[in-house]
Amino acid sequence: MSRFLNLFRRAKVSREIAKELDFHISERTEQLIASGIPREHAERRARRQFGAYALHKEDAWMTNLIGWIESLAADVRYALRGFAKSPGFAAVAVLSLALGIGANTAIFTLLDAVLLRSLPVPHPEQLVAIDIGDNGAEVTNPIWEQLRDHQDVMQGVLAWSQRRVVLETGAEKRFVSAVLVSGSYFLTLGVGAALGRVLTSEDDRRGCAGVAMLSEGFWQKEYGGSSGVIGKTIRLSDQPFEIAGVVRAGFPGLDVGSAPSVFVPICTEPLFHPGGAPNNLDARSTWWLDVIGRLKPDVSLAQARARLNTLAPGIFEATQPTGLRAESLERYKRYRFAVRPAPSGFSDIRKYQDALWTLMLGVGLVLLIACANVANLLLARATARQHEMAVRTALGAGRLRLVRQTLTESLLLSLTGAALGLIFAGWASRALAAMISTTQSTVILDLSPDARVLAFTAGAAVITGVLFGLVPALRLSRVSPGAAMKSSSRGASSGVTRMRFSKGLIAVQVALSMILLAGAGLMLGTFRNLTTLNAGFRAEGVLLVNAGVNRNLPPDAQIRARLALLEKLRAIPGVRSASVSALTPISGVGWNGYAKVEGQPERPGREKLVFFNAASDAYFETLGTPLISGRDFSQRDTAASPLVMIVNASMAHRFFGNSNPLGRRIQVERDGQYGEAREIVGVVADAKYRNLRQDAPATAYLPVAQHTVVVLGSSYELRVSGPVASLIPAIKDTLSPGSDVPVQIRPFTQQISDSLVQERMLATLGAMFGALALALAALGLYGVLSYNVARRRNEIGIRVALGAARARVLAMVMGEASWLAFVGLGLGVAGALAASRLLGAFLYGMQADDPRNLAIAALSLAAVAAAAAYLPARRAASVDPMTALRDE
Amino acid sequence: MKAKNDILQGTLVLLVLRSLASRGKMHGYAITNHIQQVSSDLLRVEEGSLYPALHRMTQDGWLRAEWGKTEKNREARFYSITAEGRRQLEREEASWARLQSGVRKVLRYT
Repeated sequence: MSRFLNLFRRAKVSREIAKELDFHISERTEQLIASGIPREHAERRARRQFGAYALHKEDAWMTNLIGWIESLAADVRYALRGFAKSPGFAAVAVLSLALGIGANTAIFTLLDAVLLRSLPVPHPEQLVAIDIGDNGAEVTNPIWEQLRDHQDVMQGVLAWSQRRVVLETGAEKRFVSAVLVSGSYFLTLGVGAALGRVLTSEDDRRGCAGVAMLSEGFWQKEYGGSSGVIGKTIRLSDQPFEIAGVVRAGFPGLDVGSAPSVFVPICTEPLFHPGGAPNNLDARSTWWLDVIGRLKPDVSLAQARARLNTLAPGIFEATQPTGLRAESLERYKRYRFAVRPAPSGFSDIRKYQDALWTLMLGVGLVLLIACANVANLLLARATARQHEMAVRTALGAGRLRLVRQTLTESLLLSLTGAALGLIFAGWASRALAAMISTTQSTVILDLSPDARVLAFTAGAAVITGVLFGLVPALRLSRVSPGAAMKSSSRGASSGVTRMRFSKGLIAVQVALSMILLAGAGLMLGTFRNLTTLNAGFRAEGVLLVNAGVNRNLPPDAQIRARLALLEKLRAIPGVRSASVSALTPISGVGWNGYAKVEGQPERPGREKLVFFNAASDAYFETLGTPLISGRDFSQRDTAASPLVMIVNASMAHRFFGNSNPLGRRIQVERDGQYGEAREIVGVVADAKYRNLRQDAPATAYLPVAQHTVVVLGSSYELRVSGPVASLIPAIKDTLSPGSDVPVQIRPFTQQISDSLVQERMLATLGAMFGALALALAALGLYGVLSYNVARRRNEIGIRVALGAARARVLAMVMGEASWLAFVGLGLGVAGALAASRLLGAFLYGMQADDPRNLAIAALSLAAVAAAAAYLPARRAASVDPMTALRDE
Repeated sequence: MKAKNDILQGTLVLLVLRSLASRGKMHGYAITNHIQQVSSDLLRVEEGSLYPALHRMTQDGWLRAEWGKTEKNREARFYSITAEGRRQLEREEASWARLQSGVRKVLRYT
């Protein structure tokens, strides 16, 4: 406070001085005019007589500040002049820092957007996620309704669920992302409407009519931001919804990374299951709602958790699912609520958070390597500038002043690097977001740098600047003027310690590079293993087509319509074989249940758990899954014919050991009851099911025609010959007349590649960081050795003059390099072994301490180091003793 | 344009104190005029050094500064000498006398 007063007082003082001087000048001017001098001359003369004091900077504080700014400006000018003199040095330093800081900022931006940023709602810190402890994040609608009606420790609770729905505009149909929200959603969050009104509990009542709010982005894009949309009708999944309002801008929903287009009340869920199909509102074992509550200001998290769990027994008693076995029901009734802070909402992308933190670590190492390089460059410059520094010290520059000067230079480098890096990061973070986007879900994030990102970048710049600038600065300022000026400009005495430090930096660089290379090798190996493994199908040349049929039809009519469509698809020229199935491999979707051999007790524990799919004939042929024995489904497997199934090798082995499974009969459980037995007519090879990482589970395939309960969407598989693109119009034409659900066509390979997002990201970026580290380390080694050779030119000249063989000189320099590389590699192997444990969870088919991987990393480093060392070594070997000695 | 009538370094404080002691309250401009007139234009005060000197002397407690009105009813800062200033004036006069006699002796010696 007193500081402020002081400031004001000082300002007042300067004002008074100015006033006093003005008075003097005007008096003098008048006097001069009176003596006959014209006004303009008089004034100028009066002012001139004041001389420099007209600037009246009597104030010591001002003088200090100005002096400081002036000397800073001088430092900056001086530094810039220095950089202009060695533009190569400045460019290398700034660029490597820009890459290092930029890459760090890019990954941090993504981490910030996905993990750290609070939701754009008032008081996000009050938001808590409510879920059922170890049973995952979601609850059933009956549980939600109980929770909503009985909880009393929150200001409000809300539930939501995101899904893709079909939007109909004119003749066009396409998927849009919709959020089913509870009536309390907007009011509890405190999110208002840009137009119209928000949804309230009035809208969310059983049997409600369709009403919707549009997101701001969707409103702008679809309706051009017209205010006339309120009250209009939008058609979603064949049902009319009245538009009640537009959500305020800047609120993308609670699932970070997705940008929903419409918000509809939870009570409209049945509208998405036309024809009286069972809906999710009363389903007691469909877990589909996420719940968030807003704590009352005076209630702690622990209190809220305790209160909710006194309610839990009643809630779970009231909502117990039907058809559960006794032991499952007991477990269900023992469920408790977990409450955890959720100020940043939910995000599907958070499954990548470990990968992102790992990348952050890796990119931090790259920055360290870049720092070491710049430090080495600065050290080399520092030695060259010893003479200059000595002169400055002799002229009275203080040590602190010299440190400041050199630190100004390094900070100038790092800040310029950071500024460039920020630009690079803007581009790179978008590229990263694109990398974790898939064809099924585009990641939409606010990646504009916020205060946290800017602080991170500035912090990184300052820390790196000090990191690589401090040692050279201290080294320089320690120069004794006498010694430095006496000795030649080479500064022979301190050269030895300088070289020791530089070499230390090189060894550290090699070690860090080794860690990065080993990590990159593991990730590349994992990616290669996953992409080359035998998945049990051949994805190349297969197109996946998503096209539903009218869901208002009764189930058997739907199946007939699908099979009819399949025949049309098979007729398209270029389609070699085609099939339809309930789900496709590696889509992330699963369908499982219990099965047992007819007439036998069920198998213990999880051994009775089997994964299912429903498929038409030619499914295995189309996907390229070999049939081991028995027959494929055929068109004679209909609802009327005997029930059959095909099992994979794993299932056959689990249920029948080595005996022949063909002709044996299997019962499948539904609603707690084992149904009619199916005869096994064929055995197929194991094929990966939900993802590539897990081994193929025991899988049973049912013929689509006998698959009476339509539980999942349907997908057509087409094995095509020739270019894929030319077939797409024909496929669309075939499907459109009969189907009323949007057509989505994509290669099977795309679906598989979508499932490897994390592996690809780690492998690609890991390889990039590894290559960068390798290049930086090579550059560093080359620079230090070159410098050393130049420094020792005379010595080498003398050696050659005294008869040392060229080869020996070459070996001497190479020996120095290999010594550095060996020390670095030794440290690096130890570091890599320690660091690779972090990667354990990401690996597939690789051991974290895989010796072959370490050897490859070490060998490539050694090879690059040798190449980097060879150039200066050859230069040393070709030193001409005559010129070297003459230069002395 | 090094004028012969520039005030010798170190004598400015003496002249200002003396002027204020004999004339009472004056603003800066009046001080320059006073010195110039009394010395019959032999001495001219450099404005650039007068004000820093005035501010320094005020800070040292030799002068007191206050805002007031001139005869033409303009606002100006008036300076007057303090008791401390008078003591300083005596010291300055004594040292000036010593300097003068010293210089005179050197000049007489031929």
